[in-house]
Amino acid sequence: MKMIKAIVRPEASDAVSDGLAEAGFFSLTKIQAFGRGKQKGITAGSVHYDELAKTIIIIVVEDNDVKEVLKLIKCRAYTGNFGDGKIFIIDVEDAYTVRTGSRGL
Amino acid sequence: MKEIIAIIRPKKMGATKDALDKLGVPSLTAIPVFGRGKQKGIAAEISCDIRPERLTQGDAGGMKYIPKRLISLVVGNDDVDIVVNTIITINQTEQIGDGKIFICPVDNAVRVRTDEQGESAIL
Repeated sequence: MKMIKAIVRPEASDAVSDGLAEAGFFSLTKIQAFGRGKQKGITAGSVHYDELAKTIIIIVVEDNDVKEVLKLIKCRAYTGNFGDGKIFIIDVEDAYTVRTGSRGL
Repeated sequence: MKEIIAIIRPKKMGATKDALDKLGVPSLTAIPVFGRGKQKGIAAEISCDIRPERLTQGDAGGMKYIPKRLISLVVGNDDVDIVVNTIITINQTEQIGDGKIFICPVDNAVRVRTDEQGESAIL
C-alpha cells in the first residue's frame, strides 16, 4: 500500500476529490495547510506573502492504483502556473479498519 | 520505528488520549481534518443508529466531508501492535465511521532540544 500526499490549491481540491470519486477512489482526508515552495512564496505589488494557503489531500491506495491516482491528481490540479503543488508517495506497511479491527483497506 | 496515523472520531479524542497515557505513549500530534471513507460520506458524525436502508441510498442525504481528527504518533517497532489494538478497542462503536489506522515506516527521529537520534529521541 502507498499513501499519496498531494499538496494542491484549495480551489482545486474539490475538482481533485470529485475526479477521484468518479474513478472509484472515494476515501480521502483533507487538511488545510500553509506553506511555501521553491519560489519562496509570492510577491504581489509591494506585499510579499511568505506562506500560501494550500490543501493537503491524503489518500491510501494499493500499489497498482498509484499510477492512476497520480495521473488523476496531476490532471485535475493543473493550471500551468507556479503553486500547483507537489505530490509525495509514502510507504504504508499496514492498515486497519477501527470498526471491525480487520487488516487491509 | 513506525508512524501510526489514525483517523478517528473527534469525540473519541479524550478517551484515546487517556488510554495512550496509561500505555506510556503520551506523545502524539492531532490535526482536525475533513474526509470521507468507503461510504462516500453518508454516515455523519451522529450518535444515533443509522438504518441499514439509508446506507444503500447512495449519495442521497450524504455529507460531502465528515469532520475527523487525525492523530499521528511515532513508536518503537515492538509497541506498534499494542498501540494499534488500544486505539481499535477504544474507538469501536459498531457504527460506520470509526476510522482507519495506517502504519508507515520511519527512518530516523531527532529530538531538537538535545540532538538525540533514533529510538532515544522518541522515548
